[in-house]
Amino acid sequence: MGEDFTQQIRDKAKELLENGAVECVIGYETGSDGVSARPAFIYDAAEVDRLAFDNTCTHNLVKYLLDKKGKSTAVVVKGCDSRALNLLLSERQIQRDKVYVIGVVCPGVVEWGWNKRSEQLQKRCNWCRQHTPVVSDFAVGEPITEEPPAEFADVAEMATKTAEDRATFWRDQAERCIRCYACRQACPGCYCIDCFVELLDPEWVGIRIAPDENWMWNTIRAYHLGGRCISCNECERVCPVNIPLSLLNRKLEQEVLDLFDYKAGMSEDAPAPLITFKKDENLGIAE
Amino acid sequence: MSRIGVFVCHCGTNIGGIVNVPEVVEAAKAMPLVAYADENKYTCSEVGQGSIRDAIREQKLDRVVVAACSPRMHENTFRKTVATAGLNPYLLEIANLREHCSWVHSDSKKATAKAIDHVRMAVAKVARHESLFPKQVGLTKRALVIGGGITGIQAALDIASAGHEVVLVEKEPSVGGRMSQLDKTFPTLDCSACILTPKMVDVAQHPNITLLSYSEVKEVRGFVGNFEVDILKKAKMVDHKTCTGCGTCWQKCPEKVTSEFDLGLGQRTAIYIPFAQAVPNKPVIDMENCRYQKYLKWTQTEEGKKPPECRICEKLCPTKSIAWEQQEEIVTEKFGALVVATGFKTFDHSVYGEYGAGRYPDVISSLQLERLMSAAGPTEGEVLRPSDNTHPKNIVFIQCVGSRDDKVGRPYCSKVCCMYTAKHAIMLKEHDPEVQCYVFYIDIRAGGKDFEEFARRAQDESGAVYLRGRVSQIYQDGKTLKVLGEDSLIGRPVEIDADLVVLATGMEASEDADRLAQTLHISYNIYNFLIEAHPKLRPVETQTDGVFVAGAAVGPRDIPDCVAHGSAAAAKVIGLLSQDSLTTDPLTAIVAPMKCVGCFACKAVCPFNAIEEQTTRDGRIIASVNESLCKGCGLCVVACRPGAINLRGFTNQQLLSEVMTLVRR
Repeated sequence: MGEDFTQQIRDKAKELLENGAVECVIGYETGSDGVSARPAFIYDAAEVDRLAFDNTCTHNLVKYLLDKKGKSTAVVVKGCDSRALNLLLSERQIQRDKVYVIGVVCPGVVEWGWNKRSEQLQKRCNWCRQHTPVVSDFAVGEPITEEPPAEFADVAEMATKTAEDRATFWRDQAERCIRCYACRQACPGCYCIDCFVELLDPEWVGIRIAPDENWMWNTIRAYHLGGRCISCNECERVCPVNIPLSLLNRKLEQEVLDLFDYKAGMSEDAPAPLITFKKDENLGIAE
Repeated sequence: MSRIGVFVCHCGTNIGGIVNVPEVVEAAKAMPLVAYADENKYTCSEVGQGSIRDAIREQKLDRVVVAACSPRMHENTFRKTVATAGLNPYLLEIANLREHCSWVHSDSKKATAKAIDHVRMAVAKVARHESLFPKQVGLTKRALVIGGGITGIQAALDIASAGHEVVLVEKEPSVGGRMSQLDKTFPTLDCSACILTPKMVDVAQHPNITLLSYSEVKEVRGFVGNFEVDILKKAKMVDHKTCTGCGTCWQKCPEKVTSEFDLGLGQRTAIYIPFAQAVPNKPVIDMENCRYQKYLKWTQTEEGKKPPECRICEKLCPTKSIAWEQQEEIVTEKFGALVVATGFKTFDHSVYGEYGAGRYPDVISSLQLERLMSAAGPTEGEVLRPSDNTHPKNIVFIQCVGSRDDKVGRPYCSKVCCMYTAKHAIMLKEHDPEVQCYVFYIDIRAGGKDFEEFARRAQDESGAVYLRGRVSQIYQDGKTLKVLGEDSLIGRPVEIDADLVVLATGMEASEDADRLAQTLHISYNIYNFLIEAHPKLRPVETQTDGVFVAGAAVGPRDIPDCVAHGSAAAAKVIGLLSQDSLTTDPLTAIVAPMKCVGCFACKAVCPFNAIEEQTTRDGRIIASVNESLCKGCGLCVVACRPGAINLRGFTNQQLLSEVMTLVRR
């Protein structure tokens, strides 16, 4: 990682921009604090040296492809981010021939803040099974092989609580939500032109910032991601009040995995289970 | 501001006996936007409908709630009522106070409170109703009949005789279906071929019928009045335009293979017609078994012994009709209506270990016995044991093989077996007076005109011994078959030395019935029998408009039923094709282009292929609904995350205002 990865990305970006294969390379650069990474949009081959890659490269840049529809774009993705590419391809939000994927094998990103960086891995990296991107046109780094970690330990722990305790827990979380919608803005799966939460007719959710409405917002958003969440956990990272959204999203991810043996974004053409009817599907409900 | 009228029905005592109707009327009067409320003994009566019409005019109502029975019962009635008073028929909402309230509750007080809630919700919904208008679409006045058995033949002849063009598709080389394999038909003992063959010939000669034998339906697109169907025409390798059906080729072909038509009891040649009366009476070449084809395959590898080049048919054909270059092809044709008459196949009895699992040559199926009894069959009508060609004397019949048996996944009754077994018993006695028949049965189902008399005749006149009970085992003992069973009426075990055992195999959906049903977007049950729109009132319609079903493809049926259903389906097709344009139901889904993100989850869930792609002026690809195909099921509405799809008549806004009215009351 580090210098070597950075150089490979810069070289590839330079080549792509110079030969006109892409109009823009979306990658990371070091922010103005000189410590942490931020997204960078490079349009000129002369500027590729701005690009960098280190263990603070946390953002899921696939989100930005939604603004580049129809334009040839290269994007730097980590393993987790890469699943979003397949999600958006299967939902026809991006076109494969317009996207050049620079896939970086990522051992994990660390907790960081403005002008500071710890050596502690982010929470999501502890359950990560996707260090190597599922899709890439240019691979950076060698695939990592390791014993796959337990994925849903925290979800399982949550499930041991009583229904009342869980309700209390989520009510407390909902009370803290300030409805800033940062979770939605960071999520590659959230791309509706008009989000249900902002509709006034029908008014699915009141605009009042209050526990009931907040709870409704977080729940429906989780359901809209059921069978679609690729667990990059960007929503939880950007939440300014630290609501553990991954507990919701990954609960649904686990349910979908158990019922349908399906994980979103693992391939471009696997049929999404919640919109696929199979005659002989046994969900264990009938008997 | 809306002026809503509420009309509460007593339905005699059906509603009024439980629900306090005057109280509901008073409560309705106090609801927002309600300008008028009244009650009727029977709102659906002429008097009741008149009171709605009068109130619309006198009270200047612009929306109507009828609180009565299920909308499935009378929604259309009341739509017409409000329309005659000048309102758009869709400015109506039904509150179901009968099925959803009075019929299922006994506590009058609580039922009345629930009835008021129902009315409250209906008022909230109807306030958000909009005028809807049906559209007209054109139609192609041609019909496709799939399946050339007796059902399909009847349907095709009836539609064609009404003056419409018909294409009849049959997957086998000849029409005729299962009926052409039968010897006689119960209960009149008409010769099956004698009554069927003329109809087969009619099909071939009718100026309005195009017969596509040896063909299959592959793909169906479109909607009622405007179907587009891909039909696969398999390669016959014989030019049927020039072939005269003289028979030289199939008489001289040296390659003999087992005949499917004779169910393994006889042989046919590689170039063949399945049976003597086949229509068209022109052969096809079975490419698997043709010697020339084997030779051609050999020339590619030159491995093994060189087979003879053969081509005898080609050399002998007086009209030079052998067409080795023929390829299978797909033709696309347009139709206004489709009839599915794909029939049935018989149950494969080899799953029954106790009956020998298909190992004993003298344990045969009833259909095989038909072939043995048929004058055109492999034994020319002489009933001979397959093992040694002797005349069987003791013949045991076993009923319900693959019927009424949960163990083999066939719990249903195949309906015809009791009767055809009685026929066999009578016929065998006529063939050979020394024959003694034994019939093991569960019970005898002989409902139908002259059926019971016929079944009695087998016992009283032909001397068949009917034993109520199942057979537990059959085993070969020298030349005879030992049949061990039980006569449950006297509670004793029975052992019979049989020369021949005939299994009354039941009816199963034909091969591929489920695939065809999926292509046509019609329902089928777990046994792959097709499902009609209503088992009593719409027996030949399906949930897909313009697709009709008939015959044994829907379930076990005998010949008269199949013919009747063939004609019934034809009547429906003729009615449809007699129109100059079709009116579409306006209760369809509609896409809001500005909200659609083009993820096409709607397309994935739509059972009717009604979602199409459309490019907006700013170049976005979004969904749009083909209103002719849309059935208004609402699946797409649920799948749409941005809420870009709404269902007319059941919009999100309408449903939400119902719910909110209830939770905020």
